[in-house]
Amino acid sequence: MPRRLAWLSGAGGFALSPQVLANGWNMPVGVTDLSREIHSLHMTIFWICVVIGVVVFGVMFYSLFRYRRSRQPQAANFHEHTTVEVIWTTLPLLILVAMAVPATATLKNMYDTGDAELDVMVTGQQWRWRYDYLGEEVAFTSSLSTPRAQVRGEEARGETYLLDVDNPLVLPVGRKVRFLFTSDDVIHSWWVPELAVKQDTVPGFVNENWVRINEPGIYRGQCAELCGIDHGFMPIVVQAMAPDEFDAWLAERRDEAAQEALGVDRDWGHEELMTRGEEVYAAICASCHQPEGQGAPPTFPALAGNPRLQEDLGWQLDTVINGVSGTAMPAFRNTLNPVELAAVITYTRNAWGNATGDVVQPARVAERLAR
Amino acid sequence: MWQVIKSVLAAFFGVQKERQRRRDFEQGRPGHFILVGLVAAAVLVLLVVLLARLAAS
Repeated sequence: MPRRLAWLSGAGGFALSPQVLANGWNMPVGVTDLSREIHSLHMTIFWICVVIGVVVFGVMFYSLFRYRRSRQPQAANFHEHTTVEVIWTTLPLLILVAMAVPATATLKNMYDTGDAELDVMVTGQQWRWRYDYLGEEVAFTSSLSTPRAQVRGEEARGETYLLDVDNPLVLPVGRKVRFLFTSDDVIHSWWVPELAVKQDTVPGFVNENWVRINEPGIYRGQCAELCGIDHGFMPIVVQAMAPDEFDAWLAERRDEAAQEALGVDRDWGHEELMTRGEEVYAAICASCHQPEGQGAPPTFPALAGNPRLQEDLGWQLDTVINGVSGTAMPAFRNTLNPVELAAVITYTRNAWGNATGDVVQPARVAERLAR
Repeated sequence: MWQVIKSVLAAFFGVQKERQRRRDFEQGRPGHFILVGLVAAAVLVLLVVLLARLAAS
């Protein structure tokens, strides 16, 4: 009998061996000290559970077999055994305390967001992420960039299907980065398994978390809180790079932002606004109003051939800048800059057969924003 | 009194000897158990709070 038990536990041990667990069935070890800590805590508690399970079910099945009726026709008749009861009460208590001690230490570490060298505000929006490098004058949105043709099944799916974005979140390796999470509309959840971060973004609240990434690389994640029709279409891509590379990247983005700010005052040509507007439309608007502006009525109105849009520029400006309360249309005054707003408004007024011929200058939008 | 405290602690732990239980039900007064039970509950809460403070410091 003991030999048979040994064989059974051996087979169980193989099925749960590290090789099997590492093969996509388990949580990843990750690329931060904290993620390693969480992983080893997870494995410790997992093995404690395995041992308890084997012992409890072993005793149960052994008793079923050993004391079956054909071998033990006279049932033992006894009631209460204080010593045994004390043991089976104390043992779980000790096991729970033994698990709580390292778990509490890890939790304390997770919540310690002090001494961060970089603050990044992460804002969830239906259905994209916005990253704000606080105090660095750098902010951008990060939208799905997997081609729509792959989604519709007209093209073969790539390896990173639905896990590609236009602007990844760039972070330095080896520096403590503090995240501040919030949302503009509904509850989302920013989840990157390799960084061991999964934090809800709640409108009106700020949640915190932090990472110190050890290895450069690309780490992907997804929204982990059902947030609407395109919940599966707002992935997260984190690009971790060496600190000096990161500093160069940040400086470049800062310059671009400054250039963009200068661009508000100059006169833009029709062509350059249309080109820019097409990019903005594809990244921001197309998920609801559809790539060809046909919309998805009644929730998402069509823009192509929309009479009010073509007649009433003031109304369109107000709609895009301030949103429409009570509908799915969000306010874009903080998401897009004046150049992007002017470009996308110009684009929608001149694309897909909308032939107003209007050129909306960034300066006009800026004036409207200042009101 | 000591018997009452012992029985309340046994109840918190979840295991009691049959002999003790019988004696409590024959000789004990409900009011005593309730009072000692409330005090013990307050002590438990205090202990947990202190433990949490200790862990968080």
